[in-house]
Amino acid sequence: MIAVQAALTGALIGGLYALMAAGLSVTWGVLRVINLAHFGLILAGAYLTYELVTGWGLDPILTVVVTAPVLFGVGACLQWAYERMNMVEFNSLLVSFGLLMVTIQLATNTWTADFRRLAATENPYATSSLELGRLILPTTTLLAFVIAAVFIGGGHLLLRHTFLGRGMRAFAQDRTVAAAFGIDHRRLGLLVGGAAGASAAVAGMIFTLTNSLTPAVAYEWFGIVFAVVILGGVGNLLGTLVAGVGVGLLSGLVSVIWSPSTEPFVLFLAIILALLWRPHGLFHRRGVA
Amino acid sequence: MHRRLLPALVATLTIVAVAACTTKKEPSTTNQNPIVVGSTLSLTGSLAATGLIHKIAGEQFLERLNARGGLLGRQVQWKVLDDQSDQAKVGQLYEQLISQDKVDLIMGPYATPNILSAMAVAERHNFVMPQHTAVLAPQLTYDCQFPAWSIGTTPNRFVPNLLLDAVATLPRPPKRIAVLTSQSGSAAFVTDGLGDDKTGMITIAKERGLEVVVDAHYAPNPSSWGSIAAQVRDAKPDLLISNSLGVDTVNALTAMKQLGYRPPLTFSLFPAPGPLLGLGADGVGVLSVSIFEPNKALIDKAGADAQAIVDEFKTKATAASVQFPVFETQAAASWNAWEILVAGVKGAGRIDQKAICDSLHSRGADTTFSGHLAFDVNMNNFWPTNLGLKQIQNGQWVMVWPASRAAAPIQGPASP
Amino acid sequence: MTIRKGLSYLAAVTALLAVLAHFHSSVGIAPYSIVLTTTVLFWIAQATSWNLLSGYAGYFSFGQGAYVGVGAYSMAVLTGRHDVGFLWSIPIGGLLGGVLALAVGAVAFRLGSLRGEIFALLTLAVPFLLATFARINMDIDGGQGTVIALPAYPQWVGDAQHMLFYLSLAVAALAVAVALAVHGSRYGHGLAAVHDAEDAAEVLGVPTFRYKMVAIVLGGVLGGMGGAVFAMQIGFVAVESVFGLTIPLFVIVISVLGGRRHWLGPVIGAVLVVVLQDRLSAGGLESLENIVMGALLVGLVIVAPDGLYGRLRARPWLALGAFAVVLIGMSLTGYWAELDALLYAMFAAAIVATLADRFLAQPTPKSPDATFSPTRVAADRSGRTPQPAARAAGAADAGATEVAQLPLLHAAEALPGLAEAAPQAGEARAAEAVVGLGEAAPQAGEARAAEAVVGLGEAAARGRALVSCVGVTRDFGGVRALDGVSLQVFPAEIVGLVGPNGSGKTTLVNLLCGALQPTRGTVAIGGRPIGGLAPHRVAHTGVARTYQIPRPFESMTVRDNVAMAVMFGRTGASLSQARSKAQQHLATVHLGHLADVRPGSLNLHQRQLLEMARAIAAEPVVLLLDEALAGLNPAEIDDAVAVIRRIHATGISIVVVEHLLRVLNQLSTRIVVLDRGAVIADGDPAQVLSDPAVVRAYLGRQRA
Repeated sequence: MIAVQAALTGALIGGLYALMAAGLSVTWGVLRVINLAHFGLILAGAYLTYELVTGWGLDPILTVVVTAPVLFGVGACLQWAYERMNMVEFNSLLVSFGLLMVTIQLATNTWTADFRRLAATENPYATSSLELGRLILPTTTLLAFVIAAVFIGGGHLLLRHTFLGRGMRAFAQDRTVAAAFGIDHRRLGLLVGGAAGASAAVAGMIFTLTNSLTPAVAYEWFGIVFAVVILGGVGNLLGTLVAGVGVGLLSGLVSVIWSPSTEPFVLFLAIILALLWRPHGLFHRRGVA
Repeated sequence: MHRRLLPALVATLTIVAVAACTTKKEPSTTNQNPIVVGSTLSLTGSLAATGLIHKIAGEQFLERLNARGGLLGRQVQWKVLDDQSDQAKVGQLYEQLISQDKVDLIMGPYATPNILSAMAVAERHNFVMPQHTAVLAPQLTYDCQFPAWSIGTTPNRFVPNLLLDAVATLPRPPKRIAVLTSQSGSAAFVTDGLGDDKTGMITIAKERGLEVVVDAHYAPNPSSWGSIAAQVRDAKPDLLISNSLGVDTVNALTAMKQLGYRPPLTFSLFPAPGPLLGLGADGVGVLSVSIFEPNKALIDKAGADAQAIVDEFKTKATAASVQFPVFETQAAASWNAWEILVAGVKGAGRIDQKAICDSLHSRGADTTFSGHLAFDVNMNNFWPTNLGLKQIQNGQWVMVWPASRAAAPIQGPASP
Repeated sequence: MTIRKGLSYLAAVTALLAVLAHFHSSVGIAPYSIVLTTTVLFWIAQATSWNLLSGYAGYFSFGQGAYVGVGAYSMAVLTGRHDVGFLWSIPIGGLLGGVLALAVGAVAFRLGSLRGEIFALLTLAVPFLLATFARINMDIDGGQGTVIALPAYPQWVGDAQHMLFYLSLAVAALAVAVALAVHGSRYGHGLAAVHDAEDAAEVLGVPTFRYKMVAIVLGGVLGGMGGAVFAMQIGFVAVESVFGLTIPLFVIVISVLGGRRHWLGPVIGAVLVVVLQDRLSAGGLESLENIVMGALLVGLVIVAPDGLYGRLRARPWLALGAFAVVLIGMSLTGYWAELDALLYAMFAAAIVATLADRFLAQPTPKSPDATFSPTRVAADRSGRTPQPAARAAGAADAGATEVAQLPLLHAAEALPGLAEAAPQAGEARAAEAVVGLGEAAPQAGEARAAEAVVGLGEAAARGRALVSCVGVTRDFGGVRALDGVSLQVFPAEIVGLVGPNGSGKTTLVNLLCGALQPTRGTVAIGGRPIGGLAPHRVAHTGVARTYQIPRPFESMTVRDNVAMAVMFGRTGASLSQARSKAQQHLATVHLGHLADVRPGSLNLHQRQLLEMARAIAAEPVVLLLDEALAGLNPAEIDDAVAVIRRIHATGISIVVVEHLLRVLNQLSTRIVVLDRGAVIADGDPAQVLSDPAVVRAYLGRQRA
């Protein structure tokens, strides 16, 4: 029973991992930008949420009305800059690493490294839960999962079934050729970058609902988020969701059956094995060379 | 090769030459010059929340000291650098303070790993180093480090016994305990002991006939608390012992609350004090360790100055937007450390590291909040501990154990 | 000998530093200089060790902390718990670092197709794993950290700080010596080739797997030794301080700043970064440190992605002048601390050197042994060419997988059409050729019939096949790219390999050069089966290939590109011998006049000629030309055809993969047609091209 409960909680919180990973995965897959600054955007989303809730008394979930457009703009600007500088793949990794360092330090200088946490009065979701017999679904994790599923599912449908989405995928395959078919990659890039920024805002909001904030936490997301990106397959949104849930489930189970201390061990071992056997993600169909 | 190497060679030589031509101004020793104390504190990074408390307390102490004429008739200045909570930086910064800035005295940094790194440098240069909060007593082997917060030479025995003695006095003493342990320095030490000494919370609880129903270790900052919470909930312990730092206990309790569970009684080893109070009703009754809480009984006992110090700290900390602006264990430890340094210098009558160290060994130090401290080299200078237990009662931390120093009696869980 | 000279300079500098440190009080060196230099030396050792794989070979690692951590923990556990001496613990730390590197490399490099980013992320996971391991293992420290006692030191050393200084100096000097020796050697050139175009390096005969393994292990050993000394310096080892992101972060900033393609890069970067860090903290600006470091990283990747070394080397005297002027100027004022003066002087040198190109004329051409490129982003490992036509042609054959199912990609299926439509691509005639096939072929067929019979007769008479595929099948997942292909190539033949897009031509070439292994069937070169051989071994059996999209070594001159093939080819040669031989091969393809330029300034045609020169430099018996004419204009095609004939005349058999049937018709002695992975025709060009099945395969698929 404990195992079932832990697995369930883990799987639900996996929605948050998936949401964090989604933006990174799409910019990497479609724009070939490995944007480590995405972690900085999530951090910014989290702190903005905190600020709006404590300062303006907004409902935590409603803050996305403000944070998502703001971070959409920031994400689009970032993408514009990467495009201008012709930063792809490795150079983008380095540049965005630098940006992340700057962001984390700025957050530290602004909010200090104190742990910030929404008080129980400001955050009605923190301790409520939904009971299904012996199983309990905490509201925050449930929210994390539902929002992530909606966001990622929507993104997936958009990519698969709209002209825009097809354009993006053609673009991901070959930029020059896609450009020859009239796909304006700049505008497309801004849109993708912006959407990634907005997803970071939502992820930051959900993180703030369940956790204490401190700037250095952004580095701690590295492991789990990259695990989800890689396991899900770079650029594969649905894969990201499945991988997020899978990683959450695995952590929950390992921590109950074995010990919480072995959880990172199993997780990183899983990444390494996955990288070796399925470097393009667990759900990748291989094509002809 | 010539073309490539020559500039490098010339540059290297120039650097060396410049360094060699350096003629350092020796600090003149006239009494007009202030005494400079150097230290680092974690002003940014993961330890910054507490680092800031030590900074405010230190500045407040020096303000008062200087207002009363300073030390040896000289004003005292404090040069504090930010080690960014990075242990690897601490050593280098202390080197910089001692060798380059040529500070007269040093004060320890905050948190055990940083203190141990600083101690290595202090030992290399034979500097006296009072330190606030290092817990790993067996590793603090340098003769001239002086703890300001003594948790005894064997915290791995002392803390479990302290806690279990205290809860044994409750009307319904706990029988089943769950132990959560963060795998970081001091917390794991209290649970498992250190090196060959495997005594700790687990073994002592078993010796006392308690049943350990959960013994879970986790790496610092676990990604999710859900599974740990589920484990504790299903084990139904009478007492949850969270040997952890910072906000771990808050996170664990919140996750349990989400599962509709609240442990009857909770002990948290080294928590950030603010967030636990922020839990509101869910935090009521949580126990932790303390050397000082600003409860009236304790303040009165500490003497006339204490109330003023506590009030002034609160004003300063609030102004610096510290989240939990209360003069408690951390600030008191800081105060002790400065008083140790001052006592040493006064005892020696001059700025001479050896003399200061000897004076402290022979005469000890008087402190406002912990009384007279005597340092025994054989005990790594750890004085008989005055550590007690505090508990959240009526929305604030209250000293509850030992009975002789308690401001209020310890409270058990409310009847189910 | 340049390496020997470099090493003797290094020894001199090391000895000088040691002597100055020993007599520091008599020459008036502030004790703090020793402390600061110790830190510089630690970072020099780390950045240099990181640079062996990540700089020279271009495999970026985020895992330097792992080696430092293993070294540091070796020191902590061995001295603290097992009473091993400090001096012994350092090499043991290095050994364990090397073992770890061996494991990481064995796991990571097994996978041939491992991309650079994936490697980086893999190495990111390693320190996390080790940290967890240390935490759950009470015999290490269970996460509690371990104090390291003050090391005992001999009387003459003076004090503990000097002990640390000498040890750090020794490790750093060793690291730099290794980096210097590697840089100037054949091995270093191999690593540079891996950096620029790994696949091309492998098929030219560079044992890339072994080279990468040696680089990662050397890096691990040096990193581990440095880590062991680092543990003594920090005095207390805990999981957070060694396995965190600080170490990889600094190492990356230092190397990117200094330059990754030369051994001096990390040295320059380490001095600059450590002094900068020191000045920031001395000025009370620690909280700005990460902002400055981050901004530095961003700025450098944008402005000078190849690092400062390259810029300084281009204008050494200008930089040195700026350095001296600022240093002396600031020192004379007496107002600035000497370290401030040093920092600003270094900045001045860096800025002057970096910006000089913007305001001054181009410097004199670089000597050919330099291996950095100021104009190109060195980290671009993909080898993609900027020419759109080439890109389009590449995309056409890429066998679009998922995309091909999209409605939009009805258009994408017509990608070859796009390439043909581009006038400069010169492929328009491919379509013409196909259209004209019907009428033209019969006449041509008759005209050539006699010739063909002679050709076949000769082939049979020659007996032993150079290349022999028997029943070769290759699957990719569920897709069968080649299905039971049997093919032989005899001496002195030029075999044209044709077929519609996706028919498996490139797959076949990849199988012949060993880049792919067949799912079933055997491939033999000169009668010797190559199953299981690495491509560089296959290369040594006498197969060379070119790439459809040229993959030159961008950091090397055209001559050195070819010299690489000679050095690592069947016969092997020293660099100087290889260079003179390379000149001959360049003459064969008429590129001799461009020997000193870098591939980046060649046009597509020249790049493809370079591919050919490089391929024949390996002295193959069989040359595989993969669409070597794609994207060329008519004049260039004629030129290329002439080159191919010249190569053929030297006695090399050639397999030409090509779309231009007209050209193949003239050039080949035999044509093999592939369709959907199977051979549908094999024989005399004219006969084959008039074969109805062949015509159907082409016309049935292509909307010409």
